[in-house]
Amino acid sequence: MDKMIEIKNLKKNYGKNEVLKDITETVDKGQVICVIGPSGSGKSTFLRCLNVLEKPTSGKIIFDGQDLAHISEKQLNVLREKMGMVFQGFNLFPNMSVLENIKLAPMKVKNVDEKTATERGKELLDKVGLLDKADQFPDSLSGGQKQRVAIARALAMDPEVILFDEPTSALDPEMVGEVLKVMQDLADSGMTMVVVTHEMGFAREVADEVWFMADGYVQEIGSPEEIFEHPKSARAKDFLAKVL
Amino acid sequence: MNKLKQFILMLVMMFAVFLPLSNLTIKADQTDTSLEDIKKSGKLVVGLSADYPPYEFTAKVDGKTEYVGIDIEIAKKLAKDLGVKLEIKNMSFDSLLVALETNKVDAIISAMNPTPERKASVDFSDIYYSGKQYIVINKKDASKYKNLADFKGQTVGAQNGSLQYNLVKDQMPGTTVKGLSKLNNLVLALQSGKINGIAMEEPTAKAYVANNNQLLAFDPGFSVSSDQTGSAIAFRKNSPALVAAANKTLAQIKKQNLLDTKYVPEAAKYMETTTKNNTMMSYWTYFAKGIEYTLIITVTAIFFGFILGTLLSLMRLSKNKLLHSIAVCYIEFIRGTPLMVQVMFVYFGVGAVIQSLPALVAGIIATALNSAAYIAEVIRSGIESIPTGQTEAARSLGMTQKDTYRYVVIPQALKNIWPALGNEFVTLIKESSIVSIIGVGDLMYQTQLVQSATYKGVMPLFIAMVIYFIMTFSLSKLLNLFERKLNHG
Repeated sequence: MDKMIEIKNLKKNYGKNEVLKDITETVDKGQVICVIGPSGSGKSTFLRCLNVLEKPTSGKIIFDGQDLAHISEKQLNVLREKMGMVFQGFNLFPNMSVLENIKLAPMKVKNVDEKTATERGKELLDKVGLLDKADQFPDSLSGGQKQRVAIARALAMDPEVILFDEPTSALDPEMVGEVLKVMQDLADSGMTMVVVTHEMGFAREVADEVWFMADGYVQEIGSPEEIFEHPKSARAKDFLAKVL
Repeated sequence: MNKLKQFILMLVMMFAVFLPLSNLTIKADQTDTSLEDIKKSGKLVVGLSADYPPYEFTAKVDGKTEYVGIDIEIAKKLAKDLGVKLEIKNMSFDSLLVALETNKVDAIISAMNPTPERKASVDFSDIYYSGKQYIVINKKDASKYKNLADFKGQTVGAQNGSLQYNLVKDQMPGTTVKGLSKLNNLVLALQSGKINGIAMEEPTAKAYVANNNQLLAFDPGFSVSSDQTGSAIAFRKNSPALVAAANKTLAQIKKQNLLDTKYVPEAAKYMETTTKNNTMMSYWTYFAKGIEYTLIITVTAIFFGFILGTLLSLMRLSKNKLLHSIAVCYIEFIRGTPLMVQVMFVYFGVGAVIQSLPALVAGIIATALNSAAYIAEVIRSGIESIPTGQTEAARSLGMTQKDTYRYVVIPQALKNIWPALGNEFVTLIKESSIVSIIGVGDLMYQTQLVQSATYKGVMPLFIAMVIYFIMTFSLSKLLNLFERKLNHG
């Protein structure tokens, strides 16, 4: 299979605090990877290192043949277009309507004309079931709706991979389903996804591979079945006993 | 440690600015080009404090405000004899010597006494007029005060930096001297009982009494040496050629007895007409002009202050340590010094380097530089109030830092800081009144002119207060309206 992202000897320190100790893994094209593990294990930091929102202390992130950790700001901006991200807190722009949120980056970064951007934006809103909200402002949406808009916004840049940073953790329980549904559709369409999540059900259903992280390392990798039914490491057994 | 470093850097920067300036004023032993310089420039710039009738004051001539009085006539004659145009700069008396030394004016003709202290720093012409030193009191106190000793335990006022101020201090032991920069304000203080008398020159004292029937003037018997009583024209040190030219003009005036036959009677006439037109309504043009200038200063200052402030706030937020430190030093320094000092520094200090800097421009520059520091902090707090998630979302979509600021952060920040920015605008309308000290014709300055022209102290102040309030109040209402629109939009 083609490699999408190669992570080599990734380390991240905050001062003396080592959050990521040494990670070397590969994300293949079309793969859906769910990263699970106890809080404070470095999952979010790991994900944010992939698009260099956090600059790695050492190691390489190879994407599209280039090492994201060691390229210019300009080149990084170009590669980030191809690597979408969905945040726990949605981070929609409150001063713009839903449609404007989606249109902004294609127009400013890719210089797509207004008409095309609008058409594409509406198409994506239809895909996440929110076409009727196009002209509303984020304030008037529910959490689940906001996150679906955020996914549409990421998709508008036609990324090759999307990073999800605990996309359902800030949602009321009754809204988790609608967001996971959109993500499942996305996975079915062949999108490469790296998902940091606490939704074990989703991981079991959708993931091609589950990565179990603890103490700054990826401790164990396997199919959902392997990880959930037959965890090998003691840390994984311990964690799964608590959450399942 | 970091703070200490910043502080030291700030001091170093201050010295870097001040040291070259301090050298400027001490240029001794140069050849005397004073006369040629003036003839070359084609104009004689005379500094005076136009609140001192009958020497210099303002009056309405054919509906226009003009400077009139004995000194003005002398200045006109001098300029004519030199074959140049006359330009008059009106400022507070205690700023005059600095203005002369920093080349803001070429001469001071402002009933200035050639005291030994002043002689040390400037050159004087011959004395052109001498009057006795009087004290003005409230008429109802006529029986209480008859000579200097009667003021023991009381307070007597005098203009700051004037001969009279020193006389009271030296010859009236047991009397407190109260110094203000404007005679109008001293008269106000006298009438409201804050002080018991004002020391001033005979003609001026008589002028005030003639126009205000609640006042009384008398000669309390100051002992004054002859070189201290008279008024003379002041020039920069080491300009004998100019002094000689002035003395020639003064000699002519004396020979033709112009003072007694022409200048003094004319001044008296202006004072009478002023007294007749004493209603505030007839001075509305003063206030209108003042409003115009205040608005010009405020709007221009806020415009440039906003641009510079935005720049400073971005510098302060920048990762570049040098840019960051410069911005921090600037902001802290400006916020840690009074606007009044800044205004005077720009006019007299920076103005010493750029000779032709007009007072209005100096005033605008100082206010803009000042408000930039405050606006920078407002904008910074606005930018910092935007959650980092907004920036991260934009950057994760491939937007550059510049575009992220431009389309995502700044628009949201502006919305948040709108009320604070509006406040800064309102504050600036009020604070701009400080520029009146360097002679910019703003509302406060015009108010002082009306005070001296009408011999009324409180009424013009009250009118100025009302006008300031109307301006600030309607502005804040307007801003509120705008803000509500912004929130709905």
